[in-house]
Amino acid sequence: MASGSKEHKEQIRLGFMTAVEIGDRNYVGGLLVTDRFGRPLEFQCTTPVKPNRTQELLYGPTLVPFILGDLLAKALLDRVSVKPSLIMTSRVEILQLRTKVAIPIIYDEASAESGSKPAQSNSSQSVGQEIRFGRQTFRMHEDFTEDQSAVERISQQLSDDANMHEPLERVGEALRETMSTVTARPRVA
Amino acid sequence: MLPDQDNPGNATRAVSYDVPCPRPSEFPFDTSLVELSPAVDIYSSGANVALNRWPNIECQRVDAGLAVWTVPSWKPGWPKVHTVGLAFPEAIEFLPPEKPKDDEKLETIRPKKKKTDSDSVDENAVRRPTRLQPPSDALSLEDRLFYILQPPLETMLAGQELIMPFEPFPHQYEGIGWLFSQENALLADEMGLGKTMQMITAVRLLLRGGQIRRILLVCPKPLIPNWQREFRAWAEELPVVTVEGDTARRNLIWKMPGVPILMTNYEVMVRDMEAMPEAERPKFDLVVLDEAQRIKNRDSKTAVVTRDLKRKRSWCLTGTPIENRPEELVSLFEFMEVVNARATPDLRQLSKLADKYILRRTKDIAMKDMPPKLDRDAYLDLSPAQKYAYTVAEKEGVVQLNDMGDQVTVQHVFELVLRLKQITNFDPLTNESSKLDRLIADMEEVAASGGKAILFSQWTKVLDWLAVRLQQFNPLVYHGGVPTKKREPILAEFKEDPSKHIILMSYGTGAVGLNLQFAGYVFLFDRWWNPAVEDQAINRAHRIGQTSTVIVTRFICNDTIEERIDAVLQHKRAIFDSVLGDGDVEDASRSLNAAEIFGLFDLKAKHGKGTKKIAPKVVKDASSDAA
Repeated sequence: MASGSKEHKEQIRLGFMTAVEIGDRNYVGGLLVTDRFGRPLEFQCTTPVKPNRTQELLYGPTLVPFILGDLLAKALLDRVSVKPSLIMTSRVEILQLRTKVAIPIIYDEASAESGSKPAQSNSSQSVGQEIRFGRQTFRMHEDFTEDQSAVERISQQLSDDANMHEPLERVGEALRETMSTVTARPRVA
Repeated sequence: MLPDQDNPGNATRAVSYDVPCPRPSEFPFDTSLVELSPAVDIYSSGANVALNRWPNIECQRVDAGLAVWTVPSWKPGWPKVHTVGLAFPEAIEFLPPEKPKDDEKLETIRPKKKKTDSDSVDENAVRRPTRLQPPSDALSLEDRLFYILQPPLETMLAGQELIMPFEPFPHQYEGIGWLFSQENALLADEMGLGKTMQMITAVRLLLRGGQIRRILLVCPKPLIPNWQREFRAWAEELPVVTVEGDTARRNLIWKMPGVPILMTNYEVMVRDMEAMPEAERPKFDLVVLDEAQRIKNRDSKTAVVTRDLKRKRSWCLTGTPIENRPEELVSLFEFMEVVNARATPDLRQLSKLADKYILRRTKDIAMKDMPPKLDRDAYLDLSPAQKYAYTVAEKEGVVQLNDMGDQVTVQHVFELVLRLKQITNFDPLTNESSKLDRLIADMEEVAASGGKAILFSQWTKVLDWLAVRLQQFNPLVYHGGVPTKKREPILAEFKEDPSKHIILMSYGTGAVGLNLQFAGYVFLFDRWWNPAVEDQAINRAHRIGQTSTVIVTRFICNDTIEERIDAVLQHKRAIFDSVLGDGDVEDASRSLNAAEIFGLFDLKAKHGKGTKKIAPKVVKDASSDAA
């Protein structure tokens, strides 16, 4: 392997973002940034966000997409120091983040089906064409078809049988661990 | 009435009503007689001008008694979302972050592979990845997340930088993951399951992750070449330096910076650490003790010096965590700093600690695909000459011991046991040996099939005696009397020369650390005091890499001390299993203590007019010393 190309290889940063609902409409999000081998570089997770009754009424079906795609996802991406080159998500709502950032975001539909698939919402309208990444098939945002070339370029630097589901599972597990630790911890007055 | 805008001076005006008007014929009176436009006279009164002015109107608020409330205002504002973060050491290379646009300049460094067929993908999908679990003593969230967020071991090891000679077995992945996440650990896998590679790979991963930088491996001296070979095979890129040479050179090596792995033997480590002022002693991120049962005696110099090593992590490797008594574990736990100094945990507490800090797998569980080991114990009758010699020696010995009365010690009994065991091997006067006869018969079969066998005995003298009598099988001898430099060539010759059908080994020298999986037969010519050592010996052949069934033959002479020793050892098995768990079916590492050695004979001393039972005076475990 040429040294020049090695330098490029090391710059790939894969983002894995997901959000889970914990308890009664408490939403938390997590973002794991790894190198091309899936080794963790940085992890960020949010504190729980719980909409109040008014917000539920006024946002209607756009509430969850807003919390996940706008609030949590944006906060995570702003906060993370190692910015990912590409974000994979198992929540269709997070696909909406693409409209606000210049980073390709692809949605792992199969992972969402096997895990906690969100209620049908407006977000599903933004799901675009399929694209192969690692050994899985993802979907892009329908308004950003130009992401295809960027995703393919990154994909070429990964193994074809790289499992892109697995890091998303790690994020989910880390979120549950975090929440269980936080809720178990006695509150300090 | 409002004035007409067009004709303000005229108070009259035509008003049309948009209402249905009855027809004249329907009127109740005759309208033709009524004048509808009567003349109106307006007189000048001086007030007519006022008719041209708008009247002044004043508005006044009148309380209608109704309250009007405003709706609470609402803005789409959300509280700031807080995040919790964890940065990994590797992230440093990635900072400061580049602009996303730069990604578009990335070059293709590897042609995209042809898509693999679905079979291989499915195969990977079926196999459950080995996830790292946070250690039970990791309390902080950051520590726990560190482990949870690591990729499965299979993924970690799939990186191109980690080249391995072959794919680890599932139990090895599990062991690597366990070691990786333990600060204090005792890996007690049964011999032959690959403790060495698990330790090397875990160290490799920890070094890669930047969690450790300096490691000390302490092992028995004869195993140093073995470890060097294993490091070359499993972690070629890791520089390993052996602490050897004269004192000045060793001092230099101890203090040499930038060497990730130092390897030494127990004797050198003890000598050098004792000679070194405490302030100058090196610090390690990890100290690994191979064959850690070497520190089982917590008061021994080796154990004391080992505990004083400055370190952050403490790992022990041994296939026989308990050789004689469960209490031996305490010394290992003390080194691992999971019990207080001088602690004396009971069996229940030991069992709890074992659950937490010991990982032990047996071949029965871990290597179901491994060729089985067939135990073919040979119960033999002594030859007539042996029988006679044995009976005489036993009677004389017991009488002699009884005569000693209270003066008898465990050493005296032990000497008798040894003498009797030697006679079961062969009669020193006539050289008759039922074991040898059986061995030759078996070896003829082994040689005819082109097989190779390992024979173990307690005595080098017996091995030499056998070597003379097994010439037709071209025996090789490997025991403590063979110079260290000549040992490796002997092993190589045994492996490569098809005419060498048997190697004669002593338990002490040959039982530990050697890989002889090309041999399919193991003979235990005499019984060792400690089945753990027997197991070690057997597992030289019955280990990973073995492709055929290993046939193990233990020679046990009927109606002799060998049978009685066996019975006592079997009885103790249950006690030790309770410490190491039910899964431990192989580790019957129990030898005889002084009381048990006495119990082999019905020893009584004269006491006044009668007799009394003789109890051991020496509490020290003589059998373990012998072992």
